[in-house]
Amino acid sequence: MSPLLVTILKVLLIYGGVITLAAGMTLAERKVSAWIQWRIGPNRVGPFGTLQPLADGIKFIFKEELIPDGANKFLFRLAPVLAAAPAMMAIAVIPFAGEITLFGVHTTLSIADIPISALYVVAVSGLGVYGVILGGWSSNSKYSLLGGLRASAQMVSYELSLILAILSIVVLSGSLDLRAIVAAQAGGIQDWNLWRQPLAFGLFVIATFAETNRHPFDFAECEPELVGGFHTEYSSMKFALFFLGEYVAMIVMASMTATLFLGGPEVPFWHGAPWFVQLFAFLAKTSVFLFLFLWVRWTLPRFRFDQLMRLGWKVMLPLSLANVFLTGLVVSFF
Amino acid sequence: MVIVKRKELSLAERLYLPEVFRALSITFRAIFKKKVTRQYPEERLVTTAVTRGQPRLVLLDDNQHLACVSCGLCEIACPAYAITIDGAETERCIEREPKRFEIDMLRCILCGFCEEACPKDAIFMSDELELADFSRAALIYDIEKLKRPRAALQPRIDYFYGANDRWRKRSSTS
Repeated sequence: MSPLLVTILKVLLIYGGVITLAAGMTLAERKVSAWIQWRIGPNRVGPFGTLQPLADGIKFIFKEELIPDGANKFLFRLAPVLAAAPAMMAIAVIPFAGEITLFGVHTTLSIADIPISALYVVAVSGLGVYGVILGGWSSNSKYSLLGGLRASAQMVSYELSLILAILSIVVLSGSLDLRAIVAAQAGGIQDWNLWRQPLAFGLFVIATFAETNRHPFDFAECEPELVGGFHTEYSSMKFALFFLGEYVAMIVMASMTATLFLGGPEVPFWHGAPWFVQLFAFLAKTSVFLFLFLWVRWTLPRFRFDQLMRLGWKVMLPLSLANVFLTGLVVSFF
Repeated sequence: MVIVKRKELSLAERLYLPEVFRALSITFRAIFKKKVTRQYPEERLVTTAVTRGQPRLVLLDDNQHLACVSCGLCEIACPAYAITIDGAETERCIEREPKRFEIDMLRCILCGFCEEACPKDAIFMSDELELADFSRAALIYDIEKLKRPRAALQPRIDYFYGANDRWRKRSSTS
């Protein structure tokens, strides 16, 4: 089979897998939130409620699509796409596993292996803020606009810390290629960047929460204050697309955390493991952080907006700058 | 002016992260707690004589005729105007009975005033709680839907007189 067909096959497989994972996340979200509140959660559709995402999807399709009077119709339709597309695009460079032979073609289990993949993820996922602010603005609703404004201010502030945390890893590994960063962590658990860059790890995890608009930084939504924030006016599949984008962004950020700090698909103490073992290791590491997203949501209350800004600019930014500076010093002189 | 003295936060609390981890451990332990959800259609609410469910009409001991004499007191007592009664004469020793006795279950607020107003022990709040149908008309209950043998309501009747014995005597027919 030609390499092109194999690439198309990989695209289909990876996107199918990621969207299935995102659907699973919606179920996990409801299940975990139920468990933490001493409830059972959805358990009627399919065994243990496993078909609930399917039922939700069908419901979304049959809901009426509303476009508010006075909304900018073009931007209103465009915004969900802009919210979901960047997260989907970032998936392209995530190294899910190492080398794999598909129909006689030797390749790697990621859609594209580009030499600046870490930069690519940062660049593309930074575009997600456009979907949020356009969705908020074009709805012609004050709540949506407030949600969009707050979310964009937040995402821009925390992106700095996120990028600087990645930068310190890049300085350490000497490469912007996620594959090279993973290769630098090959070996045992003690070789993970988590131990070399614990501060960057903490900053990165906190910043991913802000980047994906998850609790305790969910200023884009703010159910109690802004009746849903930027997606107040959205219904049916447009709303579902926002949700899909949010969950895919969570998957991207969780897999980035796993790749940058936990060695990604590298299996500890088993260098060169077969691809399915690597894929399993990758998914296991990713799901730890996916669970963390859900866990923190039901633990911490939302910050106040000034607290959020103070944390972003006065705590996380100086810390991450100092971290990059120290890492640079250590790498240059030792 | 009142100055509220707040507790000074310790260093660990001001650093915030240790407290976050403590909170996380609390929520993680909550996952394994016993669940409080009641799986409704399978696990139903336990009802007792105290349960104030929907009002039902009591049949006399012959299980044919209602204890109701259509005096209209429940109709007047009803704050939701849910009850409609048309009376009729009978050839029995109890000379009156309702020709029509309807309770609009969509209006009924389950307050129990009808039960308290009734001088003939003819209407009581049963332990039946479920109310669902496909049309409004089907939820206007007539005598056929409302009548219950006395035995079915006996726990409630006994409870009612136990609770209200200071001002209410049992009726001659009960």
